[in-house]
Amino acid sequence: MANRTDPTAKNIHGTNPQNLVEKILRSKIYQNTYWKEQCFGLTAETLVDKAMELDHVGGTFGGNRRPTPFMCLVMKMLQIQPEKDIVVEFIKNEDYKYVRVLGAFYLRLTGTDTDVYQYLEPLYNDYRKLRQKLADGRFALTHVDEVIDELLTKDYSCDIAMPRIKKRWTLESIGTLEPRRSALEDDFEEEEDKEDDDQIMIDSEPDAREKDHYRGRSPARDRDRDRKRDSHRQYRERDYDRDRDHDHDRDRGRGRDRDRGRERERDRDRYRLRDDRDHGRERGRERERDDRESDRRDRDRCRRRSYSRSRSRSRSRDRKERGGDRDHRKRHGRSSASPRKHEDENGNVREESKKKKQKKPKEDGTDHPDPEIAEANRIRASLGMKPLK
Amino acid sequence: MIEVVLNDRLGKKVRVKCNEDDTIGDLKKLVAAQTGTRADKIRIQKWYNVYKDHITLQDYEIHDGMGLELYYN
Repeated sequence: MANRTDPTAKNIHGTNPQNLVEKILRSKIYQNTYWKEQCFGLTAETLVDKAMELDHVGGTFGGNRRPTPFMCLVMKMLQIQPEKDIVVEFIKNEDYKYVRVLGAFYLRLTGTDTDVYQYLEPLYNDYRKLRQKLADGRFALTHVDEVIDELLTKDYSCDIAMPRIKKRWTLESIGTLEPRRSALEDDFEEEEDKEDDDQIMIDSEPDAREKDHYRGRSPARDRDRDRKRDSHRQYRERDYDRDRDHDHDRDRGRGRDRDRGRERERDRDRYRLRDDRDHGRERGRERERDDRESDRRDRDRCRRRSYSRSRSRSRSRDRKERGGDRDHRKRHGRSSASPRKHEDENGNVREESKKKKQKKPKEDGTDHPDPEIAEANRIRASLGMKPLK
Repeated sequence: MIEVVLNDRLGKKVRVKCNEDDTIGDLKKLVAAQTGTRADKIRIQKWYNVYKDHITLQDYEIHDGMGLELYYN
């Protein structure tokens, strides 16, 4: 019916083009009044007229997340799938900025990597103001180049998940794209010498930052990343400080992507390292008593398995394992099993009382004795919230 | 510190530890961190009352162990 994609439309990213918008948002758009009234039977030409009437960009807003007309028009474009030259015309037109942004958005959703960078980067020079509708219904001020930056660097915009495109430096290293020439390059020619000092400072900054992140990584990965960064720096030597706004934003964007990935890795590493530390602390007492390598290894395996699950379960499992260890020891004829038994129980009791004394968050609470609370505080800190009380 | 249970009746049941003076928006961020959906896609309801982002759990009288409904936008 009216909501079916044009039968002659091609598959985008391996799926029906309308499926680029996720199900809940899609149903909301189909039920929207603007869609039903204005977007019925639109063709590419009449779509232009509707696009010229747009006066704000945005995703969904309000308590029940109503879609904006911008969203509805994006959906319509996905449905009728206009030709690429029409979309490029949308982008190239100078008069109507919302038509431009609409075309850019559609191209970001459906175009190939090279196309995306090729057609969207000239829009970085468009500094016109845009009205953006926020999620709570208010309007905010933004600019065309800010929106384009969001499209190129982030993977989520206007409540639609953007398809993944390769990073710019990947395409540059493959050779499908030339290094980015900023429009402000010529203006900064005379400041090249002055920027050399700044360049040294800026170069050392990212190194210091990255050194912290590299703690848990293998040297091979370090080498690869350094090589990539160096080659990237070779290309962009001139541009590095020239257009500091744009480059810095994109560097930061890329750095942000990398940081996000690295942060996730770092968190994973840290969690694993912290687990190992906990293991070391609590098994230290038992290690003194027991010098058997194999027993330690067995307990390592058992303990690690148990600690990977919830705390309460692991406690009971520990006790069962300690009982099993006791039998194991008896079976292997080790002397003085009974004093060890007492120590074992005391050790157990000591641990439990320590755990009960918890609930005292320190600073941001990530070094809390109870691992569940410490984990929760870590998540809260990463989200910018205060620790648990 | 209270623990709230969010259930979306489709298999996702999440227990989240939070403070009473956290807002619903913060709770949504915590749930998003645990489930993997985005925070702005989450809608927290109790029967037909959709909980708003800027109001604290204390003001909504959400106590320890209470169950909330998890829906998606």
